[in-house]
Amino acid sequence: MSGEIIPRTIMEFLTPRLGARLKTWLSICAHCGMCADTCHFYLAHNRDPKMIPSYKIRFINDIIKKYGGVDREYLQEVYKTVYYECNMCRRCTLYCPFGIDIAMMISLLRAMLLSQGMAPQGLLAAINNYKESGNQMNISDEEWVETVQWIEEEMSEELVGLTVPIDKHGAKIMYTVNAREPKFYPQDMMEVAKIFYVAGEDYTYCSQPGWDDTNLAMFAGDVKTARTIVENIFKRADELGVQKVAVTECGHAFRAVKYEAPGWLGYTPKQEVVHSVELFHDYIRDGRIKLRHKVKEPTTVQDPCNVVRSGGLGEKNRRLAEMLSEDFRPMKLQGNYSYCCGGGGGAMPMGGEMKKYRLQSGKIKAEQIRETGAKIIFVPCHNCIDQIRDLNKEYNLGVKAIHFKEAIAELMVIPEHMKPKEQAEDDE
Amino acid sequence: MRAVTFYTESRTKDKVIHEQFKWGYVLSTIFRWLLPLNVTVRKNPVYSVLTYTFHICLLAVPIFLAGHISLWEESIFAVSWPALPQNVADWMTLAFLGIAVFLLLRRIFSADIRLISTFSDYFLLVVTALPFLTGYFATHGTLNHISFLGDNMMLFHMLSGELMLILIPFTKLSHIILFFFSRASAAVEFGRRGYSI
Repeated sequence: MSGEIIPRTIMEFLTPRLGARLKTWLSICAHCGMCADTCHFYLAHNRDPKMIPSYKIRFINDIIKKYGGVDREYLQEVYKTVYYECNMCRRCTLYCPFGIDIAMMISLLRAMLLSQGMAPQGLLAAINNYKESGNQMNISDEEWVETVQWIEEEMSEELVGLTVPIDKHGAKIMYTVNAREPKFYPQDMMEVAKIFYVAGEDYTYCSQPGWDDTNLAMFAGDVKTARTIVENIFKRADELGVQKVAVTECGHAFRAVKYEAPGWLGYTPKQEVVHSVELFHDYIRDGRIKLRHKVKEPTTVQDPCNVVRSGGLGEKNRRLAEMLSEDFRPMKLQGNYSYCCGGGGGAMPMGGEMKKYRLQSGKIKAEQIRETGAKIIFVPCHNCIDQIRDLNKEYNLGVKAIHFKEAIAELMVIPEHMKPKEQAEDDE
Repeated sequence: MRAVTFYTESRTKDKVIHEQFKWGYVLSTIFRWLLPLNVTVRKNPVYSVLTYTFHICLLAVPIFLAGHISLWEESIFAVSWPALPQNVADWMTLAFLGIAVFLLLRRIFSADIRLISTFSDYFLLVVTALPFLTGYFATHGTLNHISFLGDNMMLFHMLSGELMLILIPFTKLSHIILFFFSRASAAVEFGRRGYSI
């Protein structure tokens, strides 16, 4: 993070990346200020003018005007703004009269910082892991396969005949996970194994890089690594001949694989990309999964920016929560216009350096959650769920944040023939 | 011209938008934002009424002013169209100028807007207001007692109008055209996610 800044390198980085859209936005923003109070940072910082989205991207025009002639200190200021003051949630874009995508420009600034060797340690570590092993946690292929096999062993004791297919050619769906799951949260994979088995889903994992769908490189603007990650996923999907690629309950992974991949790859992959929320929603709607009963406590649902606003699943996310709940209480702002929880855009994986800022900016979401009076909040995103659990402690919300799969695995009807002998007898 | 270069450049750099282009999303977004049928209007009703009025006057008065139409009639095009009644045009001009003053004061006195404002934001607001101000003076002879101003008001009016028109392609006034492109690209960006903005 030191060394001389060579203006030429900054300009050589920026110029080819300033496409027509960015140039248009930079030249027409009328500084009307309509974006100000759409931003949770602005609201959480007592309407601090410095938190206005259009102000945060002032650096681009400024750097261009200076022909890249800025110093390390200046870039440090850029760093603080683009990492500590924006989750790239794109809420402001929906309220901008011109539809200016501030997040995209923040992303460009992050990429520019990376080109000058500046990025959060947490993201850099993940990027190195991707480069080494293809996944963010640096899990070796053997370890991964062993984990999947272990999960199959464990779960086949719970449900008769359960298998966890790996590298099954011609399966309908290739299911991908967040590398946190095999590493820290194997219960996520266990729950999903149960759900898929009961729903009779024809799915498979893949044994080689491509099984981790996360894309933390995207948050640091490292397009090259981001591209390699999605390339791996679709390479595996091609090899296995699957029709669909499914993504776990993770927001940014879904956005990367479904909506950013075509831009990075230069073509649209032939497999359809689906999110777990869609799968689960359809299972319950179509009766492939039946519930013993619904969640009795009051519930609400988190709309992760990258599943809903930038993922288009607002309807299904809400419907799924409704189908699972007896007492569903939507937040005041639900769906595409909901507030970011403060954990997005790389804030969670950035670790300690970001914690203070994300707890503060999460205040707005915390208030929205509190107002519902819900005791359970469904959170179909790994970053959101960590953040909401932290918010729960920080603001004493008294809610339990869970993934959808936890509730579904718990509440679904297990067909008789899948129940192990002893348990079937117990039930009688 | 700028729109054309942007368009050709975007064909190579923002391929996804062009591949996913759907008129449905584009037309619906332009419809919603040209008319006050969008989320921002609901969130900021007062500001929206003012800015919509501002833009309507800005376009309608110069085009439908009787004095301007008669120039078209005398020109080689020899075309004509219905004019606004003079007193309506007067009131619209005053409303426009009032709102322009409000916008200027807001820029100066609101801490939020002051921070994000740049020189061109102030400058272009004045440039846009000048033709209206001078036009009003010229029509009503308000400042005719100051002989220099009275004699040349029509000249100032034309020059300030031309200045504004000339600046359109080089400044953020270009949003008169680029608005449509910007909205279209946003509409496609969210449209490919299945919803209309």
